[in-house]
Amino acid sequence: MLQARGISKCFGRLTVLQDASLEICNEIKALIGINGSGKSTFLKIIAGIILADNGQVLLNDKDIIGQPPENRDVGYVPQHPALFRHLNVKENILYGMRNGKGSLEAFEQIIELLDLKDILFKRPRTLSGGYQSRVSLARALVPQPKILLMDEPLSSMDVVLKERILPDFRSVLKKLEIPVLYVTHDPWEAELLADNYAIIDNGQIKQVQTSTEAFDLIRTSILRDFERGQ
Amino acid sequence: MNKEVVRIFFLPLFLLLIVFPVLALVFNLTTEGIKATLVDPYFWNSVKNTIIAALLAAALGLLLAIGFAYYHLFYRNSVVYKIANLFNDLPIALPHTVAGLALLLAFGRKTCGFLGETGAAFTLFAVILAMFFVSYSLAARTLVSGVDQMEPEVIDVARTLGDHPGKVFFRIVLPLMGEALFSGFVLGFSRSVSEFAAVIMFGGNMPGKTQVLASYVFTKVETGDLDMAVTAAVFCVALSLLIVSILTIRRQIYAAS
Repeated sequence: MLQARGISKCFGRLTVLQDASLEICNEIKALIGINGSGKSTFLKIIAGIILADNGQVLLNDKDIIGQPPENRDVGYVPQHPALFRHLNVKENILYGMRNGKGSLEAFEQIIELLDLKDILFKRPRTLSGGYQSRVSLARALVPQPKILLMDEPLSSMDVVLKERILPDFRSVLKKLEIPVLYVTHDPWEAELLADNYAIIDNGQIKQVQTSTEAFDLIRTSILRDFERGQ
Repeated sequence: MNKEVVRIFFLPLFLLLIVFPVLALVFNLTTEGIKATLVDPYFWNSVKNTIIAALLAAALGLLLAIGFAYYHLFYRNSVVYKIANLFNDLPIALPHTVAGLALLLAFGRKTCGFLGETGAAFTLFAVILAMFFVSYSLAARTLVSGVDQMEPEVIDVARTLGDHPGKVFFRIVLPLMGEALFSGFVLGFSRSVSEFAAVIMFGGNMPGKTQVLASYVFTKVETGDLDMAVTAAVFCVALSLLIVSILTIRRQIYAAS
C-alpha cells in the first residue's frame, strides 16, 4: 500500500503541489488532471526522480521519501517508452535483473501475458508504438515492484489503438495484483483502465467516485483556467 | 532581398578569404619542393609525431570529457562541476602561448611549478599535454551536447530499475552516445593536429624529436625553404580534409539510421 501525505513542491515561484495526499491499496488508481496540473510531478516524487519540498511517501508503511529511485522498489512507465536502444527487447525487459530485481519466472509470465514472445530478439526501433509500450510495461513489471507508476504511457497513440491496448493492460495488471497509479489527462482513458479515480487541481488531490465526476471536475477546471486567461 | 544579400556578400567573401588561401597553397606546389620534402626524414618524423601525439591527446581529452559529461548529467549544482565548466571555456579565450607557458611552469624543468623537475618539458609527452590542454574543451562540449540530447526518461527508468548514477552512465548513457563520443574524439584530434603555439612553448620544436607538422612548416618558412613549407602545408590541408570528411560521412550515416 502506498500513502503519500502532504506533498508540496514549488519550482521557483510556481507552486505545483500543495499538501497533496493520496492513498493506493491493491487497486488501479487513475490520477486525472489537465496539462500542467502537477500530476507527473506527483508521480515522479513518488518514484524519487523529483524531490519533494515537504511531505511523506510511505510504501508498505516504510517512509521512502529520502531514498534514491534505485532503492524505492517502484516500477516506472514513462510517457514515451524510453526503451534502451542499444539493447534488444529481451535485454530491455530483463534489465532490472542486472541489479538483482525480479526473476526469470516473472519474466516468463509477463512476456506470456503481454504477448511478447515473438519479438524478444528485435531491436526497439523496429517495433510499432503499441509494442514499444508493451515492452516498456514488461520492463517495469519484471522486477516485481511494490507499486507501478504509469505516466500517460499511451498519450502519443491514437484512440483506436488505446481502446485495444488499455483493456489488455488492465487484465495483465489485475492478474499480477499490483497496485498501480496511472496518471492521465483523459477521463475516458482512465475509465478503460482504472478501478477508481482521483483528480488533481490547484496542486491538491481529490478522490472522486466515478469517471463522470472526474470528467465534470476537469471540465470545470479547464473552464476556470480559460476564464482566468481571458 | 535576403537572397541577393547572401549572394553579393557571402559567396565572394567566402571564396576570397577561405577558399583562395587554400588554393594559393596548392598552386604554389613545386616538383622540387615535393621531392625534397618527401625524402626529408624530419618531415616524416613530424608527421608521425603529429599523428601519435594528436591521437593520444584526443584519447586523453575524451577520457576527461566523459568525466565532465558525468558531472554535467548528475551533479550540475556541485562546486566541482561549476569550476570545471568555467575552465572548459578557458582554452577558447586564452592565447595558446599562455597555455604553453602555464604548462611549462607547472610541469617544466627547474621552474617554480608544483610539479617542476618532472623532466616533461620539451619531450613528446609535453607535446601531447599541450595538444590535450587546447583540445579537451572541444571534446567536453561535444559530449555535453550528446548528454543533453538524451531522453531524460531513459535515465529515470534505469534508476527505478536499480541503477545508481554511475551504473546508468556506463550501462545506458555512454553506449547511447556513440555519435557524440566519435565526434568528440575526432574534433579533439583535429584541434590537436592544428595546434602550434602551446606545442612550441612546452614541447619545443626539435626536428626528429618534438617537431610536429605545424612547427615543421614554421621552421621551413623561417629557414627560407618555402617550397618544402608549401608541400608540408598542403599535406596538412589534405590531412585536415580527410578528418573533416570522416566526420561528415559518419554524421550522415548516423542521421540516416
